[in-house]
Amino acid sequence: MEVDYGVSASKVINWFVAGITCLVTVLGLMPYALIVTSTVERGVKAIATVGILKFLTALPPSPGTKGLGGVGPSLLGTLALTALSTLMGVPLAFALAMLVTEFPHNIVSRSLRALVKGLLELPTILAGMVVYSLVVIPMGTPSIFAGALALTVVMLPYVTTYFETYLGSVPKIYREAGYAIGLSKAGVALRVVVPIAKKGLIVGVLVGVSRALGETAPLLFTLGAARYYYPTSITGPGDSVSLLIYNFAMMPYPNLRAVAWGAALVLLASYLIVSLAVQLCVRGVEA
Amino acid sequence: MTLLAPSALVIAFYVLLVRLLAGYSIPVFRRYGASFVLSSVWNPGSASYGILPALMGTAVTSVLAAAIALPVSLSMVVFLNEYCPSIVARVVASVTTVMGGLPSIVYGLWGALVLPELLRSYVMVPLHKYLGFLPPFSCAPVSGWTFFTAGVLLAIMITPYMFSLVHEAYASVPRKYREALLAISARPYVIAREFIKMLWPAVIGALLLGLGRAAGETIAVSLVVGNVNAVPYCLFLPGQTISSLIANNFPEASSYPLMLNALYAAASVLLVVGMVLNIAGLALMSRWRSITG
Repeated sequence: MEVDYGVSASKVINWFVAGITCLVTVLGLMPYALIVTSTVERGVKAIATVGILKFLTALPPSPGTKGLGGVGPSLLGTLALTALSTLMGVPLAFALAMLVTEFPHNIVSRSLRALVKGLLELPTILAGMVVYSLVVIPMGTPSIFAGALALTVVMLPYVTTYFETYLGSVPKIYREAGYAIGLSKAGVALRVVVPIAKKGLIVGVLVGVSRALGETAPLLFTLGAARYYYPTSITGPGDSVSLLIYNFAMMPYPNLRAVAWGAALVLLASYLIVSLAVQLCVRGVEA
Repeated sequence: MTLLAPSALVIAFYVLLVRLLAGYSIPVFRRYGASFVLSSVWNPGSASYGILPALMGTAVTSVLAAAIALPVSLSMVVFLNEYCPSIVARVVASVTTVMGGLPSIVYGLWGALVLPELLRSYVMVPLHKYLGFLPPFSCAPVSGWTFFTAGVLLAIMITPYMFSLVHEAYASVPRKYREALLAISARPYVIAREFIKMLWPAVIGALLLGLGRAAGETIAVSLVVGNVNAVPYCLFLPGQTISSLIANNFPEASSYPLMLNALYAAASVLLVVGMVLNIAGLALMSRWRSITG
């Protein structure tokens, strides 16, 4: 261990390390700045050409045609998918988190925790394959429902982990206070623990929403990419903004690519809004 | 009791997953044996399936990604903790967290339409020109959509994840060690060096978890890797990975004999690789936690 007495090699090394790590940090952050600026720049250009309202509601251009159009059906699809998967995923995650926090010391809870954590490592494309084989094939058609199911599988472990963390972090004293006034175990859980952890639970829901908004791989084989008409039922094919970007990015038509940039800006903006809400809630939880 | 119903759903999902994977994959492994992972012929017309190029593509792109992301995340952790004002550190850390959750399709679109030309003109062409005698850089970068591009994009995508893992571990080093080092007037770089030596298990754990994440990534990779069935003997070639192979071939898989089986078998291989990396990574992380805790 060097001990420093005035000017020495260690001073030089220290400055050298400071300089290098600073340089690498700045270089390492550059790609993110580039990604955000290119998306905003190109997205704004595309959206401004057609007007925001039309971009959010009109149909996209077909390959080979001129003009820009919008992402209406895909946006509706993303909203429906997010709502449906949140409706399915959040109650399930809540029940799982309740089980493992209220009854932590038994084999069921311990293995469930491991199984749910394991879902985090499931490649998201595999969630799509499974839903394809189990739902799309029997139904005979890809559908918004199948897509939402695949998204539920993907978001479940994230939401459960957040719920578990916040439910588990409620101090023991509050539970004891609940028991002291004669509440049952369920009463304590629902009327003491849940209200205290409320903000944390909102964070969990928002994290799930932000996952569902942007995922693409689980939808590749389950959703159907029907983007030239508005979907009328959740049992029929639909589209999502993310899937539209994926397909249009690979096409050699400049107008489709422009629509993809506009759609990416819509996605980026919604993701940033949800993340901002998460940050605000987290600050509320930790304060 | 009502709480047990959801757990039954989770268990049912796993049972179905295993049944699907086994049911589809076993015929493939029976019929092709080791040649499934050792052959590089992928021809649905004659029902020959080998995933060697895709498997090597996954290995090369994710190792390249982790090799770039690890030094970057370590530098960021050291710089933010030892050298920069804490307000800047906090802002950078939360920006990084937000970028880590950014939908992969946004990375993918940028990776498909902006990154290839940037990398080709400013990195690949010079590397090929001056270091072309080295095998990884030996082929001329004809297009920008290559293994190299996929590796770099994956590095950008996993850096926030690896950074937050190492950052968290760094912050969890007990205060007494910093005080002891300060007491002998150790300079910041000495503190950083000693800390990183201490949290070596966490660093390796983060590396493995980053590798696992890179190996499973699908969307962004399929948009940049070029989607050609080629063995990555050189980084500047277009190619594919297991996940991009699945993404590109799954839609028409039911029209060829055994193709759906082959893709499920490929997914099983990917799942096993990912599981090994993740379990090892998590084990190292929890070993680190038990040291500090």
